[in-house]
Amino acid sequence: MALTLTCPVCGKRNGYEFRYGGEEKGPRPDEADLTPQAWCEYVHMNKCVAGIQKEWWCHKDGCGVWFTTHRNTTCNLEVDTPEAQS
Amino acid sequence: MTVEIKRRSPLTFSETPLKTEVRDYWTVVQEYEAENDGPWVIDLSHRSRWDLQDSDLANVQPAGALIPDAPGHCAFDNGVLINRMNRTQASIWHLAGAPPELPADAACTETTDATLFLALIGRNIFAIAEKLTALDFKDPAKTVPFLYQGPFSHVPCQIVTLERTTGSGGILLTCSRGYGRDMGHAILAAGDEFGLRPAGENTFLRWIEALSA
Repeated sequence: MALTLTCPVCGKRNGYEFRYGGEEKGPRPDEADLTPQAWCEYVHMNKCVAGIQKEWWCHKDGCGVWFTTHRNTTCNLEVDTPEAQS
Repeated sequence: MTVEIKRRSPLTFSETPLKTEVRDYWTVVQEYEAENDGPWVIDLSHRSRWDLQDSDLANVQPAGALIPDAPGHCAFDNGVLINRMNRTQASIWHLAGAPPELPADAACTETTDATLFLALIGRNIFAIAEKLTALDFKDPAKTVPFLYQGPFSHVPCQIVTLERTTGSGGILLTCSRGYGRDMGHAILAAGDEFGLRPAGENTFLRWIEALSA
């Protein structure tokens, strides 16, 4: 089954309308005492979870909003509540 | 030295215009030869449009009308269509009648010359639209008029369904003007089997008048 995603403005839409924006990695690290290695870890390193992960998506063919959602990477389906599916 | 100003639509139909008018530097086709009885595609790119942004849209009243509360909802009154896009943004399209007065304090940007503006009206227009987009114009959970922000012929568009009755209806769409020629080509090709023809502004004004009555 093709991926569908739920845009917070437009509702459930075809996955082809969206652009993937990467894993949700939490807030940007504080720049005070930030080492190049820690910044590199934050920017480039991913967890690549085989299961449910929180991700950024952009509704590029629609309203253009950026939002986070949960997706099960093993079956490529959006998950409403991660706790219920894990 | 006199500077001659010309405003051009991003789309030109190959059919022969029967009646034209120059208005605000646009050459507006009012009627085409052999318009027949529909369905029609009508170029309304000369009709004024604005993008309105404000952090508190609830207190902004463009043309004296309230902006709908929820994204996707639209308000159509006195020939002015207001489409709520998201929490802070709405689009305003002038379809008929006197031009609206716009709020001076909100951030209002005229987008008329930046976008293509088309109307698809008449029989089978949803069958034509179905060939170009996966958006569900007949969703029973929505009441007309309503706004979709989504792809039409793979182009990001704002699409408003103004009317939907059995076998007939009317939708309006805008997209970036750079897509104008290809969008017209795709719509006419998709509508060929249904007898889709270009029509002039007069046909649209008659239709919108009947809709408002």
